[in-house]
Formats: sequence, C-alpha cells, structure tokens
Amino acid sequence: MTVLWILLLAFIAACALGVVLSRSPITSAVSLLVGFLGVAVLYLALRAEFVAAVQVLVYAGGIMVLYLFGIMLVDNEALRLQRQVHFQAWPAFVFVLLLFLWMGHELYHSDYAASPAPAAVEAAAGPEGTGAPDTNTRRVARVLYGDYLYPFEAASVLLLAAVAGGIFLAKKEV
Amino acid sequence: MGTSALVVLGLLLFCLGLFGVLARRNFIVVLLSIELIFAGAGVNFIAFSGLWRNLTGQVFTIFLIAVAAGEAAVGLGLLLALYRLRHTVNVDEAQEMKG
Repeated sequence: MTVLWILLLAFIAACALGVVLSRSPITSAVSLLVGFLGVAVLYLALRAEFVAAVQVLVYAGGIMVLYLFGIMLVDNEALRLQRQVHFQAWPAFVFVLLLFLWMGHELYHSDYAASPAPAAVEAAAGPEGTGAPDTNTRRVARVLYGDYLYPFEAASVLLLAAVAGGIFLAKKEV
Repeated sequence: MGTSALVVLGLLLFCLGLFGVLARRNFIVVLLSIELIFAGAGVNFIAFSGLWRNLTGQVFTIFLIAVAAGEAAVGLGLLLALYRLRHTVNVDEAQEMKG
C-alpha cells in the first residue's frame, strides 16, 4: 500500500522535473498535463473527489489546452537553436536545492497532529428523507455555497477581469 | 499518507517551479513553472483539509484552480503581446527596463 503512495508521489515529481528540464516547450506542457492528472489521482486518494474532478476538467482539460494553443501560436524553434545552459541556472539550482533541503527538513519533522484545528466548517446536514448519499460533492457544495458564497461570486468577477485583461493584452492594434 | 510527506511534496513542486521560473529562458516554460507552484499550493491545501477533517481546504483548492485559470489567460495574453513586439519568446530579449 505504501509502495503505491511512493509511486504516485514519485510520478508527480518526475512530471514536474520534466516540465522544468525538457528542451521543448511542448514536452514541458504535456509533462505538466500528465502531472496534473497525477495530482488529481492524489486528490482522489485523499478523498477529495470533487476537487479531483474539477482538477481534471478545468486544470488539465482547460488551462493546459490553453497553454498548448499558446505554444502553437509562437515560434519556438529560434530559441531551441541557441545555447540551452543559462548562466543563471546554476545559482538558481543551488538556491532552490538549499531552500528545499532546509524547508523540507523543517516541514517534514513538524508535528502537524499537534497543531490546533481551525474552527470546523459545519457541512450542515442535507434535507432528511431524500435518500441520496451524502457524497463529497454535496458536502463541498454546502460549504462553498454557504459559508463561501461571497468569495465564490468574487472569483467570478476576478475571472471576468482576467478575461477582459487577456483580450486587451493580446488584441491587434487597429 | 502522512501530512508531512504531502507538505514536502508541495514544497518540492514549489521548488521545482521556482527553479523553472529562475533558470528557463522560454517564456512559456516560465508560465508552466508558475502553474507548478500553484499545484504545490493545491496539494498543501488538500493535505491539511484531510488532517483537520475540514472542507475549507477543498473549497479553497477550487478557488485556487479558478485563480490559476485567470492567471493563465493573462499570462498567455502577455506572451502574445511579447511575441508580437519582439517576435521571440526569449525572456532575455525583453530588457528595455534594464539599467
């Protein structure tokens, strides 16, 4: 059982490595897409089924497709012909390695079970007698549209602003 | 799976994304590395949602995905604007503000 966990985490880490190390942006994008599917499997294993579905639909199926469109619209060949080893890569690698080792040590040996739990968000019980099972989706829906209704609407406004901004940045000058 | 291991996975994704942002010259790969950072944060959220049996973490992961979508849209708009101006995706060539 633990072997499966380790395999999953290693798979996600390998996909992430593929994103930052591959020469071709298409390989990076596809590696990230597969990595997101791996993260969705991780969410499923942690019993966050609705978030796993949203991850597959929106992140892997929407955002990554958008990135693939972006890759197809620009010319990547000119960059591939130049030197690939960036002078900034080695200091960055050292910094990131030190950061990961130090923080990883601190975080791995922290006692999370002892940390105080936040005030439990009460997923209020659904109407009795409907006979429908209380699935993760239902409970998330009660919390999302109950306690977090205002942030939900604010996220809609944020997405509208992002769409307007993206269109404005990318439009042709007339 | 222990919460510690999941937090370290989130840290690993964050660090790899940070390395991609710092070391890669292709603007698209920089954007993809930022998405990796988002993924690391999402894993962190779900890990603590499981630890505290609290659904807030999952709700905020949904918000995170929405914010990542908006950021992807704006980032790709920037990419197209940069490409139209300089006909390149090399971030080293966008240095009018340097010095």
